[in-house]
Parts: sequence; structure tokens; C-alpha cells
Amino acid sequence: MVYKTFAAIDVGSSGVSMKIFEITTRKGYRQIDYVSNIIELGSDTYANGYISQESVERLCDILLGFMKKMREYDTVDYCAYATSAIREAKNNMMVLDLIKMRTGLTVQILSNSEHRFLMYKGLAVKADYFDKIVEKNTAIVDLGAGSIQISLMNNGKLTATQNIPIGALRVRERLKTLRFGNAQLVHVMEELIANEIDTFQHYYLREKEIKNIIAIGDEIQNLIRIVPELSIKDNINEEQLNAIFDKLISTSVMDLAMEYKIPYERATLLLPAVIIYDIFLRRAKADLIWTPSIDLCDGIIVEELERSKKLTFERNFEDDIRSSVFQIAKRYRCNNLHNHNVTKIACQIFDKTKRIHGLKEKQRLQLEIAATLHDCGKFINMNNATFNSYSIIMSTEIVGLSHKEREEIANIVRYNAQQLPDYDELSGSIGDCDYMTIAKLAAILKVANAMDRSHKQKASEYSMAVKEKQLIITVDTLDDLALERGLFKDKAEFFQRVYGIEPVLKQKRSM
Amino acid sequence: MKEKSKFLKPEYLENRELSWLQFNKRILAEAKDKSILLFERMKFLSISASNLDEFFMIRIASLMDMVHAGYNKKDIAGMTAQQQLDVIIPETKEFMTDQYTTYNRALLPRLEKCGLHIIRHHEDLTEQQAEYVDEYFKRNVYPVLTPMAVDQSRPFPLIQNKTLNIGALIKDKKNKDVVDIATVQVPSVLSRIVEIPSDNEGVKTIILLEEVIERNLDKLFLNYTILSAHPYRIMRNADLTIDEDDAADLLKEIEKQIKKRQWGEVIRLEVADTMDKRLLKKLMEQLNVGETNLYKIKGPLDLTFLMKAYGLDGFEEYKLPKFVPQPVPGIERERGIFEQIQEGDILLHHPYYEFTPVIDFISQAANDPNVLAIKQTLYRVSGNSPIVASLARAAENGKQVTVLVELKARFDEENNIVWARKLEKAGCHVIYGLVGLKTHSKIALVVRREEDGIRRYVHLGTGNYNDVTAKLYTDMGLLTCNDAIGEDATAVFNMLSGYSEPPAWNKLMVAPIWLKDRFLKLIDREAENTRKGKPAKIIAKMNSLCDPMIIEALYKASAAGVQIDLIIRGICCLKVGIPGISENIHVRSIVGNFLEHSRIFYFYNDGFEDVYMGSADWMPRNLDKRVEITFPVEDDKLKQEVIRILQLQLDDTLKAHILQPNGREYEKQDLRGLDKIAAQDEFCKQAMKKKSKINEDVIKTVFEPAFHKIN
Repeated sequence: MVYKTFAAIDVGSSGVSMKIFEITTRKGYRQIDYVSNIIELGSDTYANGYISQESVERLCDILLGFMKKMREYDTVDYCAYATSAIREAKNNMMVLDLIKMRTGLTVQILSNSEHRFLMYKGLAVKADYFDKIVEKNTAIVDLGAGSIQISLMNNGKLTATQNIPIGALRVRERLKTLRFGNAQLVHVMEELIANEIDTFQHYYLREKEIKNIIAIGDEIQNLIRIVPELSIKDNINEEQLNAIFDKLISTSVMDLAMEYKIPYERATLLLPAVIIYDIFLRRAKADLIWTPSIDLCDGIIVEELERSKKLTFERNFEDDIRSSVFQIAKRYRCNNLHNHNVTKIACQIFDKTKRIHGLKEKQRLQLEIAATLHDCGKFINMNNATFNSYSIIMSTEIVGLSHKEREEIANIVRYNAQQLPDYDELSGSIGDCDYMTIAKLAAILKVANAMDRSHKQKASEYSMAVKEKQLIITVDTLDDLALERGLFKDKAEFFQRVYGIEPVLKQKRSM
Repeated sequence: MKEKSKFLKPEYLENRELSWLQFNKRILAEAKDKSILLFERMKFLSISASNLDEFFMIRIASLMDMVHAGYNKKDIAGMTAQQQLDVIIPETKEFMTDQYTTYNRALLPRLEKCGLHIIRHHEDLTEQQAEYVDEYFKRNVYPVLTPMAVDQSRPFPLIQNKTLNIGALIKDKKNKDVVDIATVQVPSVLSRIVEIPSDNEGVKTIILLEEVIERNLDKLFLNYTILSAHPYRIMRNADLTIDEDDAADLLKEIEKQIKKRQWGEVIRLEVADTMDKRLLKKLMEQLNVGETNLYKIKGPLDLTFLMKAYGLDGFEEYKLPKFVPQPVPGIERERGIFEQIQEGDILLHHPYYEFTPVIDFISQAANDPNVLAIKQTLYRVSGNSPIVASLARAAENGKQVTVLVELKARFDEENNIVWARKLEKAGCHVIYGLVGLKTHSKIALVVRREEDGIRRYVHLGTGNYNDVTAKLYTDMGLLTCNDAIGEDATAVFNMLSGYSEPPAWNKLMVAPIWLKDRFLKLIDREAENTRKGKPAKIIAKMNSLCDPMIIEALYKASAAGVQIDLIIRGICCLKVGIPGISENIHVRSIVGNFLEHSRIFYFYNDGFEDVYMGSADWMPRNLDKRVEITFPVEDDKLKQEVIRILQLQLDDTLKAHILQPNGREYEKQDLRGLDKIAAQDEFCKQAMKKKSKINEDVIKTVFEPAFHKIN
């Protein structure tokens, strides 16, 4: 059999959906089935903080239906992700366990940044006009049930991303308690949202002009659906958006749901959604809103294909992570040359010691990010910079990383300068983080950092080799390495404790 | 609300019940037609009777409900329910008189001549025959009878819907002053027709069961004297309306309704016109029936026994030889059906060609180790359906089988519940339809694992998955593995299984939401083309046309100059020949030995001809309240074949009844100067011929639209 099938399941905040894909080496992948059900887990979580028993039962019934569907294609491999509704629920662990026990399905919780990054991947692969649009300044506005994610692209690269806790469902729930007429509602919402958007604009956009907006999320397709008379294809302009707006204001939710066959619950989310898009369009002064039909499942399959190396994509998604991390470093005025040098050395050590540390690609990326951001705390105060760096990383969203991965990076940065406490001492304060990942990567970063202690990039080339119980690093430079050597010993000790081999610094003067 | 269109004035539209009565008249006309074989005529008379029964139970009952409920809304022809009843009931009585005139004057003497002697009154029996009848009664009939006398202490029993009964006036032998009534049901478990010895050789003699019972009635009421005895029959209101919002379990609700149905109000009482007045009065009192709903019959009640009489052995020269559906050209049964579908779409035209490919489709899927899933809608299946058996086997073979059993198919509920249970037991996932929507679509989907990936095979049809009716109804079907249709088919079943609806369809037009709009657009497109000076043409074949929006669109198109040919078997609320409105519309109805059942829609589309087939009539109930599928025929060769089929029906001169301008009467064509063509016969002939030269190219008979003449 030259093909396999794969199910991508999205346990979202306003609905649960599954796409089944067929993957062939020859023809790539194609979607062969798509099912979805409305279940507003988000209204449980955002209102009460918990997911109710009834919702869990219904969710399990739906998932059992999905599993039946999977059997129709003999589909065994799947990936099921839960997003903000379950993530933010206080009983999330119980919910996942109940699902596991009743259905056998393992559902994993995605952090917001992982979730959004998957959406982004789905977008980049599925929307054929994507590459062309993002050459110009583009904002990807991913409107979810619980929050909105705004990502900026420039010259085809992801430069910034920010989460704002204004989602269609959350806004609807918040406004439910206040009884407004439609006209008033718009005004109130505008005030509520505009403030957040202005703040974002101030920090990220400044004088930059946004040319395009790409709207993704659950509601955008339904917005298009209520205006068949506009025959919208790929994008909406301001005039069309106004037409949608007017229709929403003048038509009751019940009528909308009936006429355009949109589930009632979904229809209630349309007005908050269009207001959010409208405000964004006006504030950002963009020309067009692009409306690709993308959901999390489309991102899940891209991730699966990358993971299984079944298909390669033109776009290197790790580069998107790198470029957004680079933008963070830039914001905190990190020393670009030093960072670059440390990153280069750290990666070189990582690559040379692969067999010894046994870490994976993702950890290499963590190392790169740690190296890029290790100094960012100096922006706040040169004293106690390490802890400041740690704090910045802990409270900055980094696209494509899970919370755990980011926390590990923060710890790597922290224990790059400080001494790593014993496992017993640390384990309580690092949550799910893997102690050894922190230790191993911190050890590499320490050595790499020491090599450029002077921040002068004294050498252009480093060669490394593992020989018996030594990692020999040869620096080709005419400069004096006294400072580096002085620090190196210290760092080497820690490295040796972690890896069982000793880094040795040698100098070659070949010039 | 929109302003009332100038095309939808009540006078431009026909009342659907009156149009339906016209349809039944066309059937009765076949029974009167001397050019038709005698036994076939008998069959048509029987069909007209069973049709009328159903009409009473559903349509008249529903009108009466409306009157009771004080519902005063007018129909499209501007009539209230009461106004409709005022016209329909006298017309129905007239119709029934016509039926019995046909029976007594046209059929009976001829049957007599050809050797079938029907004894009308038991008094006419010879002594020897009488002896036989009495013996027959004692042995076979007596044990299953339940005679019931009615007096002060015993109330009038519940008389079941549609059953034949004998009412009698009886007098107590001891107490001479008291006259009571008694009733006994003519058992439906026994054959209505009793063959008895003939006094002439070469003659078959039969007597009806009620006469046998009448003759022996004294044996049932031993202590009474029988004063008079006459058969009667009642019809009750049986329109099954289920409030689905209230019914948590649809299945249970329907089971409950079936039991309830017997208790409905009596809307028709048929009695022999010779019935004793005192007996009649008592029956009318007991059954609460007035003069309006009383039907006095000159002959045997319930003419559907004629269908049984048709089945009597012998008389072959008076019956049409049974047509045996022919193998579908190009299909080789030895080869797997999936392989053959892969080579190209397969068009099926029943009953001229076999239904076997459809049965094979499901049965091979059930056994094929590469098949992962089968999904199918079942609306009306035959008893012992091979398809049901295959589905059950597939589930037992570990395949994922999803079956949508529609419980709301009229009168078939009991039957369907049995299948549903059977399939569930076998491990099929059985769905009982969508709340509020009857699933009328006919679709089967097979998901198969193949070398290069998942492939979906789909059967789409205009008729039910019923191997028995597939020999009697004209239907079309398509077997395809087109990816786009496969995706749509999957989406249809997802929708039926309760998942969200797909935002868009690739190829299929699906009711309730999308289909009507599409039809309106397709009709408007022709109108638009004709306005631009381009040729335009619509041909549509269906069972009924009564959707006002569609009619409006057709009137507009006709007014714009589009040539519209409609082939409508039954109800047609559209009127032809209204100046400036429908002069370009022609309606014909084909009544033949096979029941016309396929729905085919043709649009000229500026030369890029569009052909669709499907399950939906142009009726509001089909377009708005049912899940229906209409599908395109895209393969050019098959498309031309379908167009040819339409054309032949438009060429029919023998069996086509033409709707007359601005009225509701239909007339057959004047045959002078015309070739005698009966489309159904031609299809039979062609199918027989094809058997010998199977790969004959069908494209030779290209359809040339008539509009070439206009331009």
C-alpha cells in the first residue's frame, strides 16, 4: 500500500471537527472526509472556569462518532488537539483523562502559540496566494473563540505575533450580561476592543503600513456565507465588510441561522466577529481582508507530514520561529553580533555531540532561541540581567513553542549564568520541564557563551572534534584568548558533569 | 413578503387534488381502452381503485382535517379546503360510478367471453357449486371468522381501516320483536377470490369470498334469523403526522401511530347499492357517517381484487408477456463491478435493463476484502431484499455499514421497522432519518481501499432500492467513481448522520436547502439565454409538478420564449396555453404498463447541454421538506443516451396524454399522420435488440432540439 490515512482532530472552543487525509508519496495529500459538530466547550470554561460533566459526555459521544468514521477508512494514525477551552479549564486534566478512559483517544492540549502556529502552517501550505501576499506587510488575524492572534509578516517572514484575549465567544459571553441594543453594542465593543488593538499597534506596527489582512478562524467562512449576493471569492474589501456588517445589524440571529443554514450558536458569534475584523481593518488601514478557508486540522496535517518526513514544504517553518525570535531580540536591543556568534558556536557543539546528548531537532531550536535571547534582560537592568532575561522569556509568546518548551528555554537562559541547582531543589519550580534538557542545553550555552565572552567575535572559524573523553574546540585566531580561557574552565567543569566529556580549548594561529 | 407575482394568479394554477383526479382518470382510460389486452385493462382498473383508496386516506383526510381545524388558507388555485372538498367529493363519486360502469359493462361481458366466469351473487350458484362453496366455507373460512352481534349490552365493534365487512340485520328467533345488527369482517388472510368448479368446460369460475360468507351467514348467528346481509367497507383518516420535536424516540412514536391509525375518523363508507335501508341507517349511525361520505356501489366493493384475478393461471393470450429486464450493455457479470465502474460511468435504465448491477454493487462490496465502508439510504425495500441481506452480511464481515432507514415512507412503516431491526442486529449503524425531513434520496456509497488510495464508488438513482419495483417502475441510475461525486456522497451521509452540513457541494444538488435555488437558476438561465437571442430549451420529466416558485420560473421562461416540454405522470398544477404566460409549455403524461417514475431534467444551456437526474419532483414537499439528491450526467455518451430517452418519450403518440390549453383535461393525440410510437414498447424492443449487438454506438441517434426551427 503506497498510501496511508491520517485523522486530524480539533477539539476547539466552539466546535469539534475532524478531517481525514490520505497521504501518498506520489500525489501528496488530499482531504477525504470532514465532519464537525457544534459543542461550545468555551462557554463552559469562559463562564465557569470548568468544563461541565454534560459537555464532557457530549464531547465523548462526538469523538466516538469520529472514531467510527476513522474506521470507515481504516484510519489508525491520528492527532487530536484541544485548544483554549480545555487548556484554560481548571479541570482540564480530568477532562482529558475522562476522554481517554471512555474513548481511548489521546487528546493533547496545545498552547496558544502552538495552536496559532499550526493555523499558520495550514494557511501557508493551503492558501496558494499566501507567498505572494506576505511579500508586503501583512497581518494574519486569527480570530478564535477565546482570543485573537495577530501575527505580522514582512518580506515573507513572520516578524511578530501577539495574543489578545478578545475572542468572538468570549466577547459574546461578556456582553451577554449587559443588555445592549445592536447599535449600542457596536459602540461598547469598539471601546473594548479598540484599546487593545491600539496598544498592539503602538508596540508592533508604529509607522508600518499594513497592506493585507489574512483572516482565519471559525467565523470568517460563515461571514461570507451570509452574503451570497456579494459572491466573495478570496477576499473582502471595506465596502463588502460594511455590507456584511449592515446585514448582521439588521437581521436577527434566528433569521440568519435559518436562511443561511448556519447553526444558531455559530450565528451568535458573527456580530462580535465582524466588529473585531472591522475595527482591525479600519485601524490598520489595510486594503483587503483575505479569507482562506483554514482550520486547525489543516495545520495538524502539515505538522504530521513534516514530522513523518512524508512531504517537504517550500516554506521552512522553523525559519518563521527564528525570524520572530530575532524580532524579539531586536526589540530588547540584544547584541546582534554576539548573539549570532554564540548561536553559531552552540549549534556547532550541539551537532558535534549529537551522539552524546541524544537530543532532537526541536531541542536544537530551543538552544538557538536561548542563545538568541540569553542577553535580553539587560534591556531592563544590567544588574540581575539573567533573571530579567528569564522573566522576559517567561512572559513573551514565542510562536510555535509549547509553554513547556518556552519555560525550558527561560531556564536554560537563567542557568546559563547561574549555577544549576540540584534536581531535587529545582524540580518543584520548573513544572513539567525536563531537568536534563535544561542541564544539557545550558551546558552547551555556557561553553558557547564563554567562547565569546568579550563579545568581540575573535575568531571566524571554530573547529570541533570529539576525541575519546574530550571535546576539542580549536579556535583559529590571532587574538588573545585570555578572557575566554579564564571563564572556560569553570564552564567546562559543568559541561563535563553533564556529558561526561571535557571540553578543551585550543588555539591555532594560522593567519 | 414579495408582491404577488403576475405569473402566480390563482386562475393560472390548477388545484393539485383535481389534477390528481385527472391522473387517475388517465389510468381508468387505459382500462376502457379496447386496444389493450383484456387482463391488462383489468389491472388498470384495479390500480385506479387502489390509487383512489390512497387518495382518500391521505389527501381527502388531510383536507377534512383542515376543515375541522378551521384552517382557511387558500391553495395556489385560490380554493379553501372546504371548497376543494365540495368539488372533489362529487367528482370522486362520479369517478367511482365510471369505474363500476367500466367493470360491469366493459370488462365483465368480455371476461365471460374469454372464459372467466365471475359469479356475482351466491344465489346464482348451481347446486353442485353451492355444495362446494359450503364445504369450502366450513373447512377454510368458518374457523377464522369473528362474528359480532350488536345489541344494548354489546357495542359496535371497531371496524378496521380498509377492511371489507359484511353487515347484517338479524332477528332473535326467540324474541321476535327485536332486530339487531351484526357485523363480520371478511378475513384478509384468505384469498378474496375463490375458484369453484365450472359447469362448462374450458371456463374458469370464481366467486368472491364475501359472497361465500354471506351465503353461510346463518351458520354464524345460530339463534337468529338473517333478514338481510350486505358488504360494506370503510376508510379512515390515516394521514400520519408526527410531531418530531415531541418524539424523543422516533421509532417508538411511529409504532404507536400505526396502532392509533385504526381509530381515525371514518371518511368514506362504501356499501352495496342494494343494501337494506334499515341496515344502512344503523351503520351510518354507528360509524358516524353522513350522506356526503357515503358511497353506494354497483358491484363488488374494493376492486383491487382484480389484481389477484390478473394472477389467475391461464388466460395468457389476454395478458402482455412479461418483459424480462435485459442485461446492461457493456457490463460483464464475470468481472468485478468496481473494475468496470473505474473504466467509466455506467448508466442504468430500469426496467428495460436489469437492476442486477445495483444488487451486485452492494453484494460485491459486502464480500470484497478491500471495501471498508458501505453507506446507503433505504426508503422502500422489497420483502426479502437481497440488498438488505448484503448490507447485513457486510456488517458481519466487519465493514462499517451505515444505513439510513426512512421510517416515514407512507404505509411502509411496519415493513421498514422490521428491516431496521434486522440490520441493527447484524451490526449496521442504522440512522432513522433527520428530524423534520424525510430522506427521499437514493444513494449508495462504497469506500474501497485500492492500490493508490481510497476510492469511492457511488450509485445514484431516481428509484428506490427495491428489486421488485425495479421490474415495474421506469427509473434511471448511475454508477460512478467520480471523485467529486464521491466527496459529495460522503458529505450527504455526514449530514444525514448529524454532522455539520458541508459549506458547498461539488456536483450534487441537494434538497432541502440548495436544490430549489439551483433549479430556479437553471430555468432562469434558459430564460436569460433566450432574451439574448440564443436558443433555449427545457425538458423535464417527473411525477408531479406543483411547486409555485418553479411554476413561476417556468411561466417566466415560457413568456421569454423558452421551449419547455414537460413529461409529468401525475399531478401538474401548471396550465398550458395561457396567452403570454405558458404558450411555450407543453405537458404530456405517459401512462403505460410500467409506472413512469424517473425524474430527468434537461437544459439546453447555450449548447453546453446539462442533464440531471434525481429523486425529487418539483413539489414543495420534495424541494423543501425532504432530503433529495439530483445529480448531473456528465459523461457525454451517457448524456446523449439520456437525451435520447427523453426524446423518445416526447415522440410517444400512443400512450401520451396531452394536457389541453387552459384547462385540466388531458387528451390523446389524433393519430392521423403520426407514427404509432409507444415509448415504453420501444425501450423494450431496443433493450432486446441490444442484447444481440451490445456495443452499438448510441451517439448515432443524436437529439436535435426543436428550436432550430424557430430561429
